[in-house]
Amino acid sequence: MHYPWWYVPGLTAPMLIALIATLHVFVSMYAVGGGIFLATETTYAYKINNKLLLEYLRSQALFFILITVVFGAITGVGIWWTIGLTSPLATESLIHIFVFGWAMEYVFFVLEIISAFIFYYYWGRLDSKTHIKIGWIYAISAWMSLVLITGITAFQLDIGNWTPQKGMWIAFFNPQTFPQIIARTGASLMLAALYVFLHSSFRLSKDIALKKLIGTRVAKWGMVGAVLVTLGGLWWYLALPQSGKAALSGASALNILTLIIFTSSVVVFFMLYLGPYRNPDWVSPGFAIMFFLLGIAATGTGEFIRESTRKPYIIYNYVLGNNILVSEVPRLHSTGFLNGGSWTRAFMKAHYPQVFDKNGDIDNGKLLQLPDKDQAKVGEVIFQYHCNDCHSQVGFSAVSDLTRGWTEEMIKTVIIHLDAAHFFMPPWSGTTEEAMLLAKYLKSLSLPHPAGMRYSSARLPDSLDLSFEKRRN
Amino acid sequence: MNPQDLIGPSSVLGNPAPFWFITIFKVVGFTLHMIPMNIWYAGMLLVAVLGTFGKGNSRELAHRLSRSMPVIVAIGINLGIVPLLFTQVGYYQFYYPAGILIGWWWFSVIILLLFAYYGVYVYSMNIRRGRDSALAKCGAWVSSIAFLLIGFLFANNFSLMVNINNWIKIFNRTNAGGAALGIGLNLSDPSLLPRWLMMFGLAIMTTAVYISVDASFFHRKETTRTYEAWAGKFSFALFTIGLVWFALMGSWYIFGAINRYVIEQLHKTPIMYSVFIITALSPIIVWVALFFQREIVIKRTTLFAAAFQTVVLTLNAISRQWVQNTEIFQFKDLTKDAVNIQWSPLILFLVLFVVGLLIVGWMLLKVASAEKQLEKG
Repeated sequence: MHYPWWYVPGLTAPMLIALIATLHVFVSMYAVGGGIFLATETTYAYKINNKLLLEYLRSQALFFILITVVFGAITGVGIWWTIGLTSPLATESLIHIFVFGWAMEYVFFVLEIISAFIFYYYWGRLDSKTHIKIGWIYAISAWMSLVLITGITAFQLDIGNWTPQKGMWIAFFNPQTFPQIIARTGASLMLAALYVFLHSSFRLSKDIALKKLIGTRVAKWGMVGAVLVTLGGLWWYLALPQSGKAALSGASALNILTLIIFTSSVVVFFMLYLGPYRNPDWVSPGFAIMFFLLGIAATGTGEFIRESTRKPYIIYNYVLGNNILVSEVPRLHSTGFLNGGSWTRAFMKAHYPQVFDKNGDIDNGKLLQLPDKDQAKVGEVIFQYHCNDCHSQVGFSAVSDLTRGWTEEMIKTVIIHLDAAHFFMPPWSGTTEEAMLLAKYLKSLSLPHPAGMRYSSARLPDSLDLSFEKRRN
Repeated sequence: MNPQDLIGPSSVLGNPAPFWFITIFKVVGFTLHMIPMNIWYAGMLLVAVLGTFGKGNSRELAHRLSRSMPVIVAIGINLGIVPLLFTQVGYYQFYYPAGILIGWWWFSVIILLLFAYYGVYVYSMNIRRGRDSALAKCGAWVSSIAFLLIGFLFANNFSLMVNINNWIKIFNRTNAGGAALGIGLNLSDPSLLPRWLMMFGLAIMTTAVYISVDASFFHRKETTRTYEAWAGKFSFALFTIGLVWFALMGSWYIFGAINRYVIEQLHKTPIMYSVFIITALSPIIVWVALFFQREIVIKRTTLFAAAFQTVVLTLNAISRQWVQNTEIFQFKDLTKDAVNIQWSPLILFLVLFVVGLLIVGWMLLKVASAEKQLEKG
């Protein structure tokens, strides 16, 4: 609409955010939990003067830097890159609301990077007190980054009392912020424990006593993390807006995934207790890899669920998934979707100048006078800007599959009543004529009803009126 | 069609700070980012070339540069966040469309950066462990090529951002059903190549100064007087190459590629006209400083050269910002956008910024004192 839409065939552009963000979360959580682990364990190692433990922690710190400072930092910037490309309006809005929140996060980020490097590269060259302090500067900065970014992403899920006239703090302290901070802190501790098990299982295969010491101590952190994930997750669920809860209960896949997350947190708690905590020598490389993959899968699933509950918004009640401001929808109903966006208008002007009236606006009536082939082509433009944020033509969440066997009339009816038919979809934001063009295009993609299904051949009695309009009234 | 029609509406939220505040932070952030970015941009190519073909002191230089490169890259990426943040706050109507039109290329910056950064580590860690292997050299080459490509893609996006006439050309050439395919590049823009190459010239100069700083201040017992003398000579020669390169590319940009409208505006703005001339001449002062220490690096002279190179970079950042604003303002006066100042977050940020600087200062003092101890011991 106001920005060009980036067409990523078969996948949809926002899926690139999912890809980068998921990879980033796996590492960024370790950056927080691992920082707390390194600070506490280094403090402990100096206190009991355990040189072997210190030596191990030094190798863990290098592993930590290579993963978090390099991969974590780049994928973090990568998220920014990608959201600007795939959701420019939402990014523009978030940046205008939270620019100083991000600037504050940046300060902590700089502290993280500098302290992490000094912590590792000056190991053994700084006195123990200073070394410990630098470890804690890292840990606190990393956790503060988590707090700040969580407030922003939580805002996307529920804006609370915020309105465009109100400032950043109202936006930041939304109903989702605290539950998510607790859950994410827990997940960071849990994931960090799994990273440490993975690293120590390979590194300390021969030093059983040290492995036991680390295993027992790290397992405690992991268990605390599992408890926080469960508590934060429950609070998160209770604080969800109605649409989020409805999305969870309405989609069977999300139902199952939510159950898996909560169950796996409890299972991980007991596995940590019975395994590394009570019997640290159980943690073989195989066990650690399995445990780590379980943690990664659980974290990825958790993020997927969190994102799913936000639909149809990118910013709840403010920016819709298809990069339209909620406040713009009524205007688009009267002026038309194509007419309302800079880039859709530009495309129409270049390719179909005959549909413009004397005032330079698109005459919706003229759209229906275009030849059939062109009507479908204009329908494609509407599809790209209205639907392609979630649906591909063929591939991920494909409209060709979702409209399988539908008639053009059925498609049109669903388009016009999009949000009524599926509350997790954005409302139709165009005119009736534009809906007809979109329906024409979608019909051209729609796959036939699967053959061989007996009921499909049964005809409904003509007297039965199932039209959507009447049922709704 | 009128290219101006492609500019989206201003945000209804208004700018969270006055436009001058956004611009100043953008310029300051870009200057700070340029220092490490310049060092890796030209420095990694130097590491790759000298690490592969160099002998004696030149190979020693490649090794020394590579040892500090992981930290330089990390800090540089972080410092890059500030200008990126303020570009998105103040220039979103221009920055996002340009990025989307070259979407896949712009997205590839992240992939290239991963290769570049891990390439730096591959070389650096191998050298630290005394392994000057083929794999290490390969890492350095991959890294340097990736950095050069990233520079080219940045020049593309930031030249396209202000060249709205090219938006519609690229859009018409590369769209599917009215949606951008993200495969275009701003290749037809005459300013693209000189902009890219001009920054490389600046990078060569900054790297030359850094070599001098490294030899003067970061040397320990392993650095011999022979190396210090060689480093003085080498940094002077390298800076001279960078200066000539910068002058040639700068002339190409100013006399052959820049938007004529900018030149007209420049003539109408005496202050900026003077700033432009000072910007163009400023590297000569650094060159003279390096000339005086070409026999052997001298701490004070190096310090002066480094400080003045920072001035050179600042002047470049200011001039670039003025050009960007002039090019954009012919389509839209961004200072007229609504302002909705967020006072308390702004103040808290400034307080945290100062506290952060103090903590960084404290940490660096501790590092300096540890270094001193090491030298004594």
